[in-house]
Amino acid sequence: MVGIVLVSHSPALAEGAAELVGQIAGGARVVPAGGTEDGRLGTSTRLIVDAIAKADQGAGVLVIPDLGSSVLSARAVIADLDPGAPPVALADAPFVEGAVAAGVAASIGADLSAVARAAEEARDARKL
Amino acid sequence: MPASSEGPATAGRLQNTEPPATAEPPATAEPPATAEPPATAEPPARAERAVILPKHLHARPAGLIAQAAARYPQTTIEIVADGRRADARSILAVMALGAVAGSEVLVRTAGAQADGATATVVAILTAAED
Repeated sequence: MVGIVLVSHSPALAEGAAELVGQIAGGARVVPAGGTEDGRLGTSTRLIVDAIAKADQGAGVLVIPDLGSSVLSARAVIADLDPGAPPVALADAPFVEGAVAAGVAASIGADLSAVARAAEEARDARKL
Repeated sequence: MPASSEGPATAGRLQNTEPPATAEPPATAEPPATAEPPATAEPPARAERAVILPKHLHARPAGLIAQAAARYPQTTIEIVADGRRADARSILAVMALGAVAGSEVLVRTAGAQADGATATVVAILTAAED
């Protein structure tokens, strides 16, 4: 199953979103990577690396950043991955909706590109 | 969503008009009959059932529906509420229907296992609030 990493400036935001997705998309493995290593607002490449390792189950990992330096940090991590590592993709998607859609797709066994597509289709999803 | 094998089910989009052009071409020999009773030996190619929601169609049931829909890759499954339709595979589209408790929604399916898919989705929609 594809794993999902949620990168946010806020530990609480990442953890809350991961909890939400876990509830809605039962079975998906969603790992938060929020804040700095000492729990402040910010992003940490180290936490992202660890979260990717935790999320990985062999089928790849989709990283969903919230905004700003979450995107930059996630990009930096992905650029530095071992060539032999499982594939990791970065989603250009709204954080909550993308995470929910990706979580459902992952939970039904979709592959990495389909999970990424599910997240990115959330850009077009009307809320009302 | 696992943009269904049939086509680019524009997952996030609600569609107000005619069935999406992507929906499952009526292959070769389309059985003319519609709306047979359930549990016939030959599953019907299309099925449709209306239900009154006992609960809001919010995130959790929408997620269950999307997960269940994935078990019917050969079936187009739509949920129609208040004239708007949503691809059941898209949790976001289903949630965006905004269907509330007490309202009527239609489950419309086409393709192999249409009958089973309809029953599965209806069961989720009508399950008591958890």
